[in-house]
Amino acid sequence: MVEAALLELAGVEKVWPNGTVALRGVDLTLRPGRVHGLLGANGAGKSTLIKILAGAIPASGGTVAWRGEPVRWSNPRAARAAGVATIYQHVPLVPTLSVAENMLLEQRSGWRADPAGRARAAAVAHLLGDPFDLDAIVGDLPIGTRQMVAIAQGLMADPALLIMDEPTASLAGHEREQVYAVIRRLAAQGCAVLFVSHFLDEIVALTDEVTVLRDGRAVLHAETASLDEAAIAAAIAGRSVTALERVVREKASGAPVLELRGLTSPGRLAPSSLTVAAGEILGIAGMLGAGRSELLHAIFGADAAARGTVLLHGKPVGRTPEEAVAAGVALVPEDRATQGFVPGMTIAENIALPRTGFAVSRAREADVARAAIERLAIKAAGPDALVSELSGGNAQKVVIAKWLTPETRVLLLDEPTAGIDIGARTDILRLIRTLADQGLPVLLVSSEFEELLGVCDRILVMRDGAVVAEADPATMDEAGLIQLASGTQPNTGLAA
Amino acid sequence: MTRTTDWRHIFGLREAGVYYALLILLALLAGIAHSRGLPAYLSAQNLGNIAYQASLVGIMGVAMTVMLITGAFDLSVASVAALAAAVLVGLAPGIGFPLAALAAIVTAVAVGLFNGAIVQFVGINAFIVTLGTLTAVRGLVLVLTDGRSLMVEQPEVLQQMLAFESSRVPLFWPLLALVAALLVFAALRRRPFMGLGGLVLAGLALLAGPAFAVAAPVIYLAVFTAVIWAVLRFTVIGRRVYAVGGNAEAARLSGVNVNMYKLGAFVLSSAAAGFAGVLFGCRLGAINPTALQGAELTVIASAILGGTSLFGGAGSVLKTVAGALLLFTLTNGFNVLDLGASYQGLIEGVVVIAAAAIYTVGGNRRGAAR
Repeated sequence: MVEAALLELAGVEKVWPNGTVALRGVDLTLRPGRVHGLLGANGAGKSTLIKILAGAIPASGGTVAWRGEPVRWSNPRAARAAGVATIYQHVPLVPTLSVAENMLLEQRSGWRADPAGRARAAAVAHLLGDPFDLDAIVGDLPIGTRQMVAIAQGLMADPALLIMDEPTASLAGHEREQVYAVIRRLAAQGCAVLFVSHFLDEIVALTDEVTVLRDGRAVLHAETASLDEAAIAAAIAGRSVTALERVVREKASGAPVLELRGLTSPGRLAPSSLTVAAGEILGIAGMLGAGRSELLHAIFGADAAARGTVLLHGKPVGRTPEEAVAAGVALVPEDRATQGFVPGMTIAENIALPRTGFAVSRAREADVARAAIERLAIKAAGPDALVSELSGGNAQKVVIAKWLTPETRVLLLDEPTAGIDIGARTDILRLIRTLADQGLPVLLVSSEFEELLGVCDRILVMRDGAVVAEADPATMDEAGLIQLASGTQPNTGLAA
Repeated sequence: MTRTTDWRHIFGLREAGVYYALLILLALLAGIAHSRGLPAYLSAQNLGNIAYQASLVGIMGVAMTVMLITGAFDLSVASVAALAAAVLVGLAPGIGFPLAALAAIVTAVAVGLFNGAIVQFVGINAFIVTLGTLTAVRGLVLVLTDGRSLMVEQPEVLQQMLAFESSRVPLFWPLLALVAALLVFAALRRRPFMGLGGLVLAGLALLAGPAFAVAAPVIYLAVFTAVIWAVLRFTVIGRRVYAVGGNAEAARLSGVNVNMYKLGAFVLSSAAAGFAGVLFGCRLGAINPTALQGAELTVIASAILGGTSLFGGAGSVLKTVAGALLLFTLTNGFNVLDLGASYQGLIEGVVVIAAAAIYTVGGNRRGAAR
């Protein structure tokens, strides 16, 4: 039995004023009570499609029908009024207001302290499993909780269609579980859900049907039950992708290059001691807020409160980022947009940012940038393209390229593959391996435990700001790692 | 190596608007002068006058632009300049002009360090801190001068000060030397743009004649602008200045000492204000406690006319100087042509808003085309 379509797109096209074609005729049908997965590489047109559905931009061609009637939403409010709630990847919340006030931003009349609105907010929060305090100030919350607030905000209007753009990209395991549970509950109540994600496992576990976009076209539409991860990945890439297999490498047995002695930061990081050998990839596993980024920031000297000793080739590294960079420590931070690149600068300028010296040689920097574009397969017009105009995966490659110099003697990577498509992710993981093979010690933080198991020589597990366990990727599986990181029984919810 | 040049971008309103506005205004005023039978407006002497009048604001504007690029703000420059002038005029009779000038600039730098330290290390917004020093430093000037005008009365000290500020520098032969250098460089590096600029400059120099000379502050402005421009354009320091304003956290995590750069911008801004104050004190050999009141707004207006972003990460010192010249051409035009001084403020304000509108609308178009 197939219910009538809630939203039906036929031949939707989008051509930007500058002539770039984003969508070349996409058909998409969303039905009540069904979870529809939308996938595609960065730049395939997912974001454009979502913006059209949300009423943020008009389509250039094709038809959109809502409950059987052709519609043309001219602004996001019209779409919201019709019953479409969109939760964007980058959370547009007001950081200075409380959770409840953020949830009630849409409220159009009445008093600021409206008991009915407050009750509604409390009910929605309860539906989500009360992940936050309604009176907490949003700016004080960790990013995962903010994502939950954004979802709660979307649910306030009781939507018939919920569009979620990578809602789990910044969430840790147990928070993802809460989101999955909410989606399942909404679908059971008859809500249609369009779920955009890079994670194939959650698409397979969560959705009823799948559409894959590539180059502005829907290249695959099928019931999820008839697909497996390999088939979806092949459709996304347009070629057969072999999953990143674990390559058994020579165990790095070189002398320790990086050594931490009792590195600690009050309230953030318990005293930690570890060593990384030349050519070793050391993974740091842990849930969100486990202190992984804090560890990297402390090593890099970016945490002024940190105490302890960091030795590089036996010599102590200064406790500021300038001294760390001068010593050869490189950090690729977690949030590339706010910490990684300068948006108004070109690729060449961003890559040259850590350079010291006096005079700038633009020709040489352009050559370096061109080499990086080639080596990392960055999709960009050239060294003079602005980084803010690149897609997430390509911007991340620029941030990494910044440190690919002979001066870099240890590489710290914080979630280098978060929120980027499978092609760019494979490129980056391959690069990490190549660098390690050339003798560079690498510290890799990732929420993708599968990724850690695939590339690391050794994995340390962190919990509550402390290193609690060490795992050997050869003998450990993902479920075991999750168990170590969360301190509970392995339960991804996806297996159920 | 191939260089791709986007001519439409370079000559677009957003990139070159302030130069067009300056040229159009000059043409307009020249036309009015001609139609009323007044002496030629575009004479070398009058243009030299405009540059002279704009020089103090120009010097402060160049430093303010660096400040704005790093993402901060300095409202206190005019008060700091007045304080420097008061220190100069107060001390010069006792310790002589060079030492007094040094003391004036050191005083100004101290205020800059104070501003910067409070902003960077206590974490108070630059607008608030410098609004405070704007008032407090002006109050300090009142205290130092006891509310009266101070004057330098020793003729020999006065003579030194006048020589520093008002001596005229012949420019004809230096200009021709600059033209020759530009042409040689353009030919060697195949830069048609630079060659064209050299030819235009040669034409202007020949028009102005061998007797062409400008007041010393114009030279100070030109040298200061050239140095800051070159540092921003050609050095790693310059790139880091832009990076600190464009994304301070990314700069910090790339090993840039963000605090030092921000503090440095405050010190530069105050030092430039101090130098402008020294020039101001020399110009009159005297200081009254309300001198330069409100000039900080003209300084900021120059930077905005030049397209500097108040949010940091973007700006050009050359365009700020063009902005200062534009504002003082307006003032000069109203005075020379007797166009009714009452309209002056109104028109200046409208010009500033119109310029900001052009930059913002231009910026939005570019953003929407992505």
